[in-house]
Amino acid sequence: MAAFDYSDAGLQIRPDIGAAHRNYWQTLARPGSWWTGSERVAIAQESRNALDCALCRRRRQALSPYGMAGEHDHDRALPEAAVDAVHRVVTDQGRITRRYVEDNVGRGLSKEAYVELVGVVVAVFSIDEFHRALGLPLEPLPAPLPGAISRYRPAHLREDIGFVPTVPPDGAVGPETDLWKGGRAANVIRALSLVPDALRDWRALAAVQYLSFEAMANYVKDADRAIDRMQMELVAGRVSAINECFY
Amino acid sequence: MLRVSAQTTGTEIDLNAVLGDAAGAAKGIALGPELMNFAESLARRDADALAHSRAALLAAGGPAVLVDAAGVAANFQRMVRIADSIGIPVDDLNAETGRAVRAALRLSEFPGARNSGL
Repeated sequence: MAAFDYSDAGLQIRPDIGAAHRNYWQTLARPGSWWTGSERVAIAQESRNALDCALCRRRRQALSPYGMAGEHDHDRALPEAAVDAVHRVVTDQGRITRRYVEDNVGRGLSKEAYVELVGVVVAVFSIDEFHRALGLPLEPLPAPLPGAISRYRPAHLREDIGFVPTVPPDGAVGPETDLWKGGRAANVIRALSLVPDALRDWRALAAVQYLSFEAMANYVKDADRAIDRMQMELVAGRVSAINECFY
Repeated sequence: MLRVSAQTTGTEIDLNAVLGDAAGAAKGIALGPELMNFAESLARRDADALAHSRAALLAAGGPAVLVDAAGVAANFQRMVRIADSIGIPVDDLNAETGRAVRAALRLSEFPGARNSGL
């Protein structure tokens, strides 16, 4: 059976959702900019392991998440700094600090690798959450594909927001022309732009699970959705409030 | 975005819906309480509540509504992780609409507020 075959789910899942999920699984298996296909799939597996990790549960309750010793429940397929980063992004993202990200560079986790790691984690997590929301089993992870990483880094970067360099609003040029239009981009769109493919993956999934960049300008109702914009934003707002999302 | 979409359609809503107020969710938003409960049970990772709220939303709105609500909820489970993991600040901290919403919902108490200098 093909990955993300929703035909038996009995829920009329839109075909574009299944197609986007299948496309992402293929992307996940391929070598990225800073992680191999095997490592990317291992990052995906860690994003699932994190939800049952005993250390993460204890750390979530601790006053400070940075003083607690212990070892994550993990598959030993990734460096320790990467495992810790994956688990924090999934279970305790609100307490990630600039110092943590910068200290990780000294532990072998470059900012570029960190951004790609975040991109993989959030993409897999959102697909898994879609399944959990509908009561569907998680899709088995894809078999990794061989090949070399690209080490691609955009030519135009600036350190003006967040913990990592990002493409500036007027920097979506050359190979980055497709990232956004008009020389303007919200910070959340710029966030993953140090690894442009991570932003492209994010955008493709958001376009089917939520709205495309273009459709976000419609505050009434997208013709391809069963719920109107207020209903969508109520769901978005309640999820964000529980996650204590300031942004 | 909820406030902007309500203003665009001339609908009176209660922003306390975002904080889990069922009566607020019912004001001006079709299926508001069912959508709010569904979103909440997913984000809280409460399996029993999720099964209940999923069934309630399916019964009230049908499968297409449930699927699109699941997509939005799953998408925003991701957004907070992007924002906080990268530490991005809000885009225009001093815009009046944003300030009013942050004050009404007490968002400045959230840990991520420090990334915007609050």
